Amino acid sequence: MHYPCPMLSKSILSLGLVLLLVQSGYAKEAAPLFSGTSVNAGQQISLEAYRGKVVLVDFWASWCPPCLASLPAYNQMRQEIGTSEFEIIAINVDEDTEDGLAFLEDHPVDYPVLADPEGDIGIPYGIRTLPRSFLLDRNGQIIASYNSFKAGDEVNLRQEITALLEQ
Amino acid sequence: MPLLASINTSAKEKGQFFISYSAENHQISDLVSGKKDVPDETDRDRHSFSQVLSASYAITDRWSVSALVSYVNHSRDIGLSIIGKTTSSGFGDSLALVRYTPLFFTPFSRHEVSLGLGMRVPTGDDDFGSGFVLSEDMQPSTGAYGGILWTSYSYAFNQAGTLQLNTSANYTYNGENDREYQFGHEFNFAVGLGHSVGTRFGYSAAVRYRTTQNDRRFGFDVPNTGGEWVEFVPAVAYAITDKFNIGASGRIPIARNLNGTLQFTTSYAYALSLSYAF
Repeated sequence: MHYPCPMLSKSILSLGLVLLLVQSGYAKEAAPLFSGTSVNAGQQISLEAYRGKVVLVDFWASWCPPCLASLPAYNQMRQEIGTSEFEIIAINVDEDTEDGLAFLEDHPVDYPVLADPEGDIGIPYGIRTLPRSFLLDRNGQIIASYNSFKAGDEVNLRQEITALLEQ
Repeated sequence: MPLLASINTSAKEKGQFFISYSAENHQISDLVSGKKDVPDETDRDRHSFSQVLSASYAITDRWSVSALVSYVNHSRDIGLSIIGKTTSSGFGDSLALVRYTPLFFTPFSRHEVSLGLGMRVPTGDDDFGSGFVLSEDMQPSTGAYGGILWTSYSYAFNQAGTLQLNTSANYTYNGENDREYQFGHEFNFAVGLGHSVGTRFGYSAAVRYRTTQNDRRFGFDVPNTGGEWVEFVPAVAYAITDKFNIGASGRIPIARNLNGTLQFTTSYAYALSLSYAF
C-alpha cells in the first residue's frame, strides 16, 4: 500500500505498534522483582540479577493441562537459544509444592523453578489463569505477556525473543 | 422470559470480549391451583421461544459491561376454543448491566464475588394483535423499563477450580407500561455445583427459587399472577476450542405455590447456547 504522506505512514505504523503492545497485554512496565531459592537446583535466584539478559517468567502448576506442553517446549527453546543472554525463570504456584516437584520429576527442566504457593510473586503479576508468562527485556521491562499455551506457540515466542536479543 | 439467565456469564479479564447466542423454549402447559397440579381438559398448547444475543466487555479485571437483545415468539393454541391458534413475535426487552467483581478466582483465591446493577429496556412491541391487543403474557416485550440488582458468589473446592459452588441472586423492579400494566417485581436465588472434566467438558446442577409479586393493572392486583417456583436446572457445556463454547440447559419444576385459583405455568424449558470469547 502506498501512503503519499510519510508522516501519515509513520503515524499508522506507530498506531499499529501501540495496538500490538496493547493487544499483547502490556505497554512497557517494570516487572515486579522477586527472589527465592529454586526448588529444582537449590540455587538462590533474584530477578534483579538477570538485568542485561532477556528473561521469560513463566507461571505454572501441576494441575494445569497446557503446562504439560509448555514446560518441555520452553526447556527445548532455552537449549536452542542458549543461556548467555537469555534465561527462563519458572514460578510454580501449586498450593502443595510437592505436587509441583512430582510434576518436575516427570517433566524435568534445566531452568530454575521457584515455589510460590501463597502468591507472593504471582499476585503482583496479576495472575488469574495458568499458564501465564511474561517476556522481559534486558532492562527488566515487561514487553509482552501470554495467556495459556498450545503446541506451536513457542515458534512465535522464539521469534520475539530473538528480536529482543538482537536489539 | 428469564433474560437475566442469559447474562450470567461475562467477559472476565481486562480487554476480553464475550459474545453469546442462546435459544430457549418454554413449554407452558401445566395448570396449577396453589401448590396442586390440575388436569387441563382444554387441550391447550402454549409455548414461548426466545432468542437472545448478548455481548460483554471487561473494561478492567473488576469492571465489565454487558448488554443483550432478545427476539421472542409466543404461541397459544386453545384446542377446544373457536379462537384457535394465536401467535405473536418480535423484539423483546433488552438488558444492560454493569458488573463489579471485587474478588475473583486466581490460583491464590478460591472465592469470587460479583455485584451488578442493570436496566431493562422495552425495545419491542407490547401492543401486538390485529383488531384487539393480545394479553400481556403474549406480548414480545413488557413495554416497561425495569431496574435490576444482581449478585453472585462462587467457591472453588480445589485450586484448579474444577469443582465449584455457585450461588446467585437478583431482583428486578418492573415499571408500568403505557397501558398501565405492571409485571410483578421478581426475585431469583440459585445455588448449585459445577464440575469441569478435563479441559473441554463441564456440567452443573442447580436449584433455583423464583418469586414474583402479582402483576398490577391500573394500580390493582391482577388475579392469577405471581407466586413461587422451585426448579432444577441441569446444564452441560463443551469447549470446541479455547474460545468457542456450546452449551445446553434445562429447567424442570420441583415445586410451586402460585397466587390465585388457577394459573398456567412452565412445564419445562430447555436452551441451547453458543459463546465466543476473544
